[in-house]
Amino acid sequence: MDLQEKKKTETAPASAGADSKGYFDPWWWLVFAVIGMIILLITTRPDPFMRILLFVRDGIGVTIQTTIISFFLVLIVGLIAALGRISRSRILSGIATVYVEIVRGIPLLVQLLFWYFAFPSVIQGIGSALNIEALKNYLANPVGMAILGITFCYAAYMSEIYRAGIQSISKGQMEAARSLGMSYVQAMRYVILPQAVRVILPPVGNEFISILKDSSLVSVVAVADMTRRGREFMAANFIPVETWSMIALLYLVMTLLAARLVTFIERKSRLER
Amino acid sequence: MAPIIQIKNVHKRFGSVHALRGVSLDVERGEVVVIIGPSGSGKSTLLRCINRLEEFNEGSIVVDGIPLDTAENINAVRTEVGMVFQQFNLFPHLSVMDNITLAQRIIRKRDKAEADEIAIQLLNKVGIPEKAKALPGQLSGGQQQRVAIARALAMNPKIMLFDEPTSALDPEMIQEVLDVMMNLAQEGMTMVVVSHEMGFARAAANRAILMDSGQIVEEAPPNVLFTNPTQERTKEFLSRVL
Repeated sequence: MDLQEKKKTETAPASAGADSKGYFDPWWWLVFAVIGMIILLITTRPDPFMRILLFVRDGIGVTIQTTIISFFLVLIVGLIAALGRISRSRILSGIATVYVEIVRGIPLLVQLLFWYFAFPSVIQGIGSALNIEALKNYLANPVGMAILGITFCYAAYMSEIYRAGIQSISKGQMEAARSLGMSYVQAMRYVILPQAVRVILPPVGNEFISILKDSSLVSVVAVADMTRRGREFMAANFIPVETWSMIALLYLVMTLLAARLVTFIERKSRLER
Repeated sequence: MAPIIQIKNVHKRFGSVHALRGVSLDVERGEVVVIIGPSGSGKSTLLRCINRLEEFNEGSIVVDGIPLDTAENINAVRTEVGMVFQQFNLFPHLSVMDNITLAQRIIRKRDKAEADEIAIQLLNKVGIPEKAKALPGQLSGGQQQRVAIARALAMNPKIMLFDEPTSALDPEMIQEVLDVMMNLAQEGMTMVVVSHEMGFARAAANRAILMDSGQIVEEAPPNVLFTNPTQERTKEFLSRVL
């Protein structure tokens, strides 16, 4: 089918580097170089590098946890927002459009500051006004608010990716499914989304990597992630070059591995056709 | 018995374009109707109104006693009406087998074994049992269209709609699809076919209809319509097609 042919040729050039695998794959060399660098630093100069690594160790876990939980929530909320945007109901598509436009117009850092500092005050204010004890004493959980903030923001971008993916599937697919008696939801579930997922895999992978990097912003809202632990270490020891080099290398390892994973999944889903 | 399809005074507008201008048409059970006409005459639109892929602005359509009004009724009609598209519209991510069993399982609630058995029977019927495991992209256009017919038949429809089923095919593949359609017609399936395949119309159709500018210009048995048309517009159109 020509639709399939088109998709194949479209995805081919982007992943040409990854497909030419074998003896020279710059990606792997880079991963090994960065990991080698970290090992070299902590073995040849354990002080300060090993100390830094041990100090930020729990922050690595927080970063990964925040990223992965946010990412899965983004996948769900983004899909709901996308279905809202393409909905024929004016109200639903209106709400979804306003949401996306608002979120895209405000920096993530400002959104995080709002969720952590402003949102609890708003809730407490409402609690006082309505005299509800539970709301009056509401306190924001840093990690919870960080995940909420990232999800709220990234789901808007993700919805645009879903929308483009869904709209790239030819109209005839929906018509064929409906003509067989499937409801809109069934057609989406069994026919449209399985095809759209293959189309949007590369941009979704990029979003994952972006979330991983932008999770460093949660350090401003009292979440002890890798970046915040780095700042704490620096405040105590004041060795900025070593500290931030180490943090940068750790982020780099994670993003490079994530990129590899994305390429792997992409290739696998392509072979399945 | 009442006609299985009753179309009364249907109007359809696309913005300022008046695509159907008061079309009325009855199709009897077991009847094969072929609709011809220039592009933009509304023949495909009319066909797509019968299973409500296209909404219409005025008039009414009743299929097998069910009026096309509520969402529930529309879905009920769609399960009784199979449709075959010009571009096949097979699901490219599913194997031939899964294409034919998907709707059986989720709409007709058949279990896998039963749905598979029906699918294999139908693949035999359309002459490509060996392609059960293939993906649509690995088939020729003619094979894809035959799978599309099998997919529609798997729902045990009472009516089959064909929207220019051979227009996207290479010439040497047209016959294999027409043969399948011919067999269906002989088995007594009610069929509404938008197509310019005059040979098929002559051999299988009870009635041929010429549409132009959103209206039915003339209807008659195919031999009469093709050889002795009464309307000037029909003669003009046929002189260009034949």
